[in-house]
Amino acid sequence: MQVVTTRVTGAPIETPLLVISGEIDHGNAPMLSAAVEEVLEKEVPLVLFDVTDVVYIDSGGVSVLLSTVRRLRERGWLGIINPNPNVRRLMEIVGLSLDESFRMFKDQADALTAVQEFARG
Amino acid sequence: MTTQEHARCRRYSVDADACNLVEIRRFVESVAREVRLDEERTFDLKVAVSEACANAVEHSGSGRCPVQIAAWFYPDRVQLDISDGGDFRLPCMAPERRRENRGLGFPLMVALMDEVRVAKQQDGGTRVTLLLYLDNRGVA
Repeated sequence: MQVVTTRVTGAPIETPLLVISGEIDHGNAPMLSAAVEEVLEKEVPLVLFDVTDVVYIDSGGVSVLLSTVRRLRERGWLGIINPNPNVRRLMEIVGLSLDESFRMFKDQADALTAVQEFARG
Repeated sequence: MTTQEHARCRRYSVDADACNLVEIRRFVESVAREVRLDEERTFDLKVAVSEACANAVEHSGSGRCPVQIAAWFYPDRVQLDISDGGDFRLPCMAPERRRENRGLGFPLMVALMDEVRVAKQQDGGTRVTLLLYLDNRGVA
């Protein structure tokens, strides 16, 4: 797994974007968790994960998503960009997709629109 | 399951360590290819086996106990037995699972597989058995 932390360009509020690729499992989930911790230090309301190139995720990775959603619950949401059908199915099975603080987007442009709407209140 | 059945078996043994999940997945992929599972069922099997192995890693503690995987090939199903030599624990009841977000592994195995069995072995370890039936669904 690789994680590159950047930010959404053109967003009206600071919005971290983690571009993740490869396989997320119990072995490397702590690395993702550490990357999330770093961006949450700034108390941002929104965080985006671009998972276009994530080919595999197990409950180790799903746990990181769940705790990120919980951390953002009072102030915003976690947005997942372009999960493949298998990754998406796993998120649905664990109930993530029903959470109000969890959003799914088809691409980064779609996510930017939602960030802009959030910023407008 | 009848005693008349003769199944071919492939075995794989690896040290209980979360870092070894990558090679475990490669083994499961090769099993899935043998029975021509499609991409979705292959993904499901990889996740389910990973969850069973992650349980085994937790049981073993020190990482010295090997996790043994046996893949049984039947005409109508593929069966994966994941055994560890740690102390028996129900997969959903391990104390460390009471921490946040833990305990997802066993429900996921049940959701993704056709059948899941958990057994206490004679040596005290845990054996998780995962079954996928090779009906028309999900066979490429």
